[in-house]
Amino acid sequence: MGRSRHLLVAAGISAAMLSTGAALTYYEGALPTTLNPLYAAKMVDYRAQELVFDRLWYHSPINNELESRLVQGWELTDGGKGIKLELASGIKWHDGKPFTANDICFTVKSMLDTGTPSPIAEGYRDILAGCTEESRSTAIVHFTRIVHNPRERLGFSVLPEHAFDGNTAISPDLEFSARPTGTGPMKGSRGTRGVTFQAFANGHHAPNIPQMQLQESGDPLLAIKALINNSVQGIIEVAPNFRADVSASDELALKSYDLRSWWFVAINSKKAPLDDRRVRQALNFMLDRTELREKSIGVKPGERNSPCEFISGPFVPSSPYYNRSVPAVERSDQGQAEALLTEAGMEKVGGRWQFKGQPVSFRMGMEKSLDNEAPDILSYISNQFEAAGIGSQVYKIPPDKWTTEAITGHLTDYDLLVGKWSFGQVEDVNELFYTRSRGKGTRNIFNYSEQEVDRLLAQYDVAKTDTAARDAYHKLHRKLAEDLPYLFLWKLDTKSAWRTEVKSNTIAPYYYFTQFDSWRYEG
Amino acid sequence: MPRNVAILFTIISLGVLVVLAFHSPERWTVMAEAESYASPFELPPFGADSRGRPLTDYAMQGAHIVALPAVVAGLLVTFLGIVGGLVRCMGSARVESIVAGLREVVGALPRMVVILVVAILMPLEWRSLMGLAVVWALLAAPGAMDEAAAVAGRLGGARFVEALRAHGFSRVRIYLYHVVALNLRPVVVRQGAETLMQVVFLEVALSFLALAAGEPSFTHNEATTKSWADLLYQGYQFIAMDVPSGHALVLGLLLVAVTAVAAVSISSAARAR
Amino acid sequence: MALVLPFAVPAIITLLIWALPGSPVSIICPGCDGAEGLAARWNLDQGMVHFYTTWMGGALHGDFGNSWRVVQGVPIAELLGPAVPVTVTLILLAMVPLLLASAVAGLGWIPRQLDPLFQAIGLIPAMLPALVVYAVISLRFGATMADGPESLTAKLLWGAIILGIADGALSGAIVGTRSLFDNERKQQYVLVAQLRGEGVLSNTLPNVAGALVGQIRGRMLHLLSGAVIVEAVLRIDGLGDYLWRATLMQDFGLVLAAATGFALVSGSILMLQALLEVAVAWHQRRSPVVPVGGVA
Repeated sequence: MGRSRHLLVAAGISAAMLSTGAALTYYEGALPTTLNPLYAAKMVDYRAQELVFDRLWYHSPINNELESRLVQGWELTDGGKGIKLELASGIKWHDGKPFTANDICFTVKSMLDTGTPSPIAEGYRDILAGCTEESRSTAIVHFTRIVHNPRERLGFSVLPEHAFDGNTAISPDLEFSARPTGTGPMKGSRGTRGVTFQAFANGHHAPNIPQMQLQESGDPLLAIKALINNSVQGIIEVAPNFRADVSASDELALKSYDLRSWWFVAINSKKAPLDDRRVRQALNFMLDRTELREKSIGVKPGERNSPCEFISGPFVPSSPYYNRSVPAVERSDQGQAEALLTEAGMEKVGGRWQFKGQPVSFRMGMEKSLDNEAPDILSYISNQFEAAGIGSQVYKIPPDKWTTEAITGHLTDYDLLVGKWSFGQVEDVNELFYTRSRGKGTRNIFNYSEQEVDRLLAQYDVAKTDTAARDAYHKLHRKLAEDLPYLFLWKLDTKSAWRTEVKSNTIAPYYYFTQFDSWRYEG
Repeated sequence: MPRNVAILFTIISLGVLVVLAFHSPERWTVMAEAESYASPFELPPFGADSRGRPLTDYAMQGAHIVALPAVVAGLLVTFLGIVGGLVRCMGSARVESIVAGLREVVGALPRMVVILVVAILMPLEWRSLMGLAVVWALLAAPGAMDEAAAVAGRLGGARFVEALRAHGFSRVRIYLYHVVALNLRPVVVRQGAETLMQVVFLEVALSFLALAAGEPSFTHNEATTKSWADLLYQGYQFIAMDVPSGHALVLGLLLVAVTAVAAVSISSAARAR
Repeated sequence: MALVLPFAVPAIITLLIWALPGSPVSIICPGCDGAEGLAARWNLDQGMVHFYTTWMGGALHGDFGNSWRVVQGVPIAELLGPAVPVTVTLILLAMVPLLLASAVAGLGWIPRQLDPLFQAIGLIPAMLPALVVYAVISLRFGATMADGPESLTAKLLWGAIILGIADGALSGAIVGTRSLFDNERKQQYVLVAQLRGEGVLSNTLPNVAGALVGQIRGRMLHLLSGAVIVEAVLRIDGLGDYLWRATLMQDFGLVLAAATGFALVSGSILMLQALLEVAVAWHQRRSPVVPVGGVA
């Protein structure tokens, strides 16, 4: 059965090559830094790696069910503290070697090895305890505690033990990062200017597209023109101001890419006067989100099927965790804002708010790349605060500085930071709001700390059912909407653009290429 | 170019830059004042960008970014050029060889590399063209010193000084008037003027590179300020992609031309009679 | 000096990049376990002297390590091996219009009245035509070819033209060479040679050769500097582009290797200048000396 399937797959690929012959090229905003799944830092990394590797478990983009291409059976062991995995047969690595249980255990051990300086691996060290190879096709993964969703916790990509000679301390600068070996539908190779993907016939994948190229787009306008000219066949993320150009062409199609992204203004609640909740609430009422949205993204009030919906908490409205009883503040309310600031002990002198005799002025930053999606939003927010009597100095922050300093809680000389979070189908916001400590709160921008919030986050962590998890997060939503470590802005739909010659291109939430086997290119 | 004409052009071109810089708005305008890509006829004097904002703001803010750093860099090179010429006149072989050695090392450094590293070094809040302009001037100075030393050498160097001393002139007068004012002036002023122009080009290049790389600008706080590079970027879109921003290209090139006219005029005005 | 440069330039660059805020380790592993191990692996944990000496020790054996971020995991030697000839080719091609224009100007065939035209052309910043060329190539030939080896020749040719003409390069070459020859033509020996029916060029060229070579070297260094911008915009995989990307991404090993490459090219130009000056001096020594005051 396995061999005939291989022959069928190979025949299919050969037919595809004969019929198309052309490589499918698509644009990303930047090239992936690495093809090693342990070191994925940006969305482009995750998307590229999705073509090359298989995650042990993934959510089907069609029915949201947890599925696996590598595991054909599983059962809980050790009272729920372990999971036994029966591997599917006939799966090969891109170098032809067979995929075995040893590879799964090697991957787990690499993540647990402190010589692997990977933030992703560090995230798993809290939940994984180890792995045992019971046989060539059976592995048992051990957890540190009982979890209500064990398969969800095994969403990591599997690495080949033989590519590292069994050395579990995996450094980011190994050649594997540029020329990886995976079990995914495509074999990838990072060049100096792009990534080349070649289809690989395998027991569990049957890609129809023999070759793909990932290129860096540069100027967004040039990228759109190139797409219209058929110089490329797809663009992963199209900024809102260019979507009309894509929609206007019959040869192009705009497709939704579910990134569960929401925008925010993080507030440094460790600095006076922002440590006063009333001041944070006043800022919330100063912002006119409707005007911001119209000016920066171009969505007019009352527009139907808007790609941009307001939010009142840290989830997208379509999420089961979103608490619909907490309303979003769509328009500014200067009266409320003034009342709150006065109550907080501030006074307005000559149209400017003062705190302890000094004019209030905030230092505000924003990750630079967000300017492509919402041009000048930083200036518009600053203008609204200025109009309300609060001064500001604004800066755009380079992507690396955002990663190394903003997310790690080191940009404490800023008062406000505008940013965006994106999630997969599992919207775990714990790392954003937990009090920062060893292994927790790793993305807590301004080191926000609130006991009640920590308690609710811990409740989510130990929840044994989906209902319990949802309840915890509903309460969290309400709490955060009151305490306002963030001013929650909106969720903004992400759209991709593909030429119509690319058929059956189902786009998976977050990881994008999960259903790549169904894609066809008739160019 | 006749000297009087050169002086007149210098005054006009520098004056335009100074006026633009002086009237520069502190913060970037985000409010639309006209239709997208309005022409200069629809929104005088220079038209509007893709969001209907006046291009005048680009011109003024860009001038504000480059004016002072370019002048400082030019003066620095002029000063160092004078130093180079005077060192030759002093006739100190040891000092000359040290200067020559430094000249070779600095002259061999890839300038853009050093500038880029310094540009990335600067904290976001300090980003401005001034530091980069000073570094550029220091890297350009060896060439100016070399040329000034060659001119001083052709005069006769230390022997020239001694000859004039024999005529009863003081050292100070000899160095400042006979050497610098009468002989080094054309060379060092030309070098200074070229550096002034190069700093403007450098700002445009660095801002373009930052735009292309998705980095915040190295020369100014782009959240509140626009530069001439943004004008030329719109010009590139006009040429390459038929975006109706040709008026931005014209304005950008015009501003660069004014800078070049200033540099050429300064050199011409300072040349030997 | 040419021998010192490949050591001095990386030392200076190390000094500069050591002052960069943050560290490449914190970009990859912000605040996580294993950061110290990674810093030790990359020789970042014992100060810049240790980093420089370790790197230089490896470099002398041809081992520049792997790229940390630009093309993570790929050996730097593999990246820069093809990059050096690409940059050298770009510079040499860019010198063609400059040398041609210099020769023509030296012969006096370019009237001064055309100088404003060349200066006006030189006003165009190199970035602008480079962006346009890249856009045209992308739109016409497709993204894959635009960034692939197929378009390298076209990009090198266009890059060379842009580099040779923009940013005042061409006008500087014309004006500089012309003034050099004009000053020399005013010398008495030239007038004497003309009276004797000899060629002006054959008499002036050996005497201006030294200064001419110095000018050419200066122009090549200027082009080398400008190559960073042209390569970055046209996406040519040359030394300049690697230097730009590596500096931006704090890929220290690649920064040093590319800067050393630049220093080697610069040092080679210096050696070439020295050899030419020696040749000129030898030629002059062999030439008959014209007595002061005229022919006997």
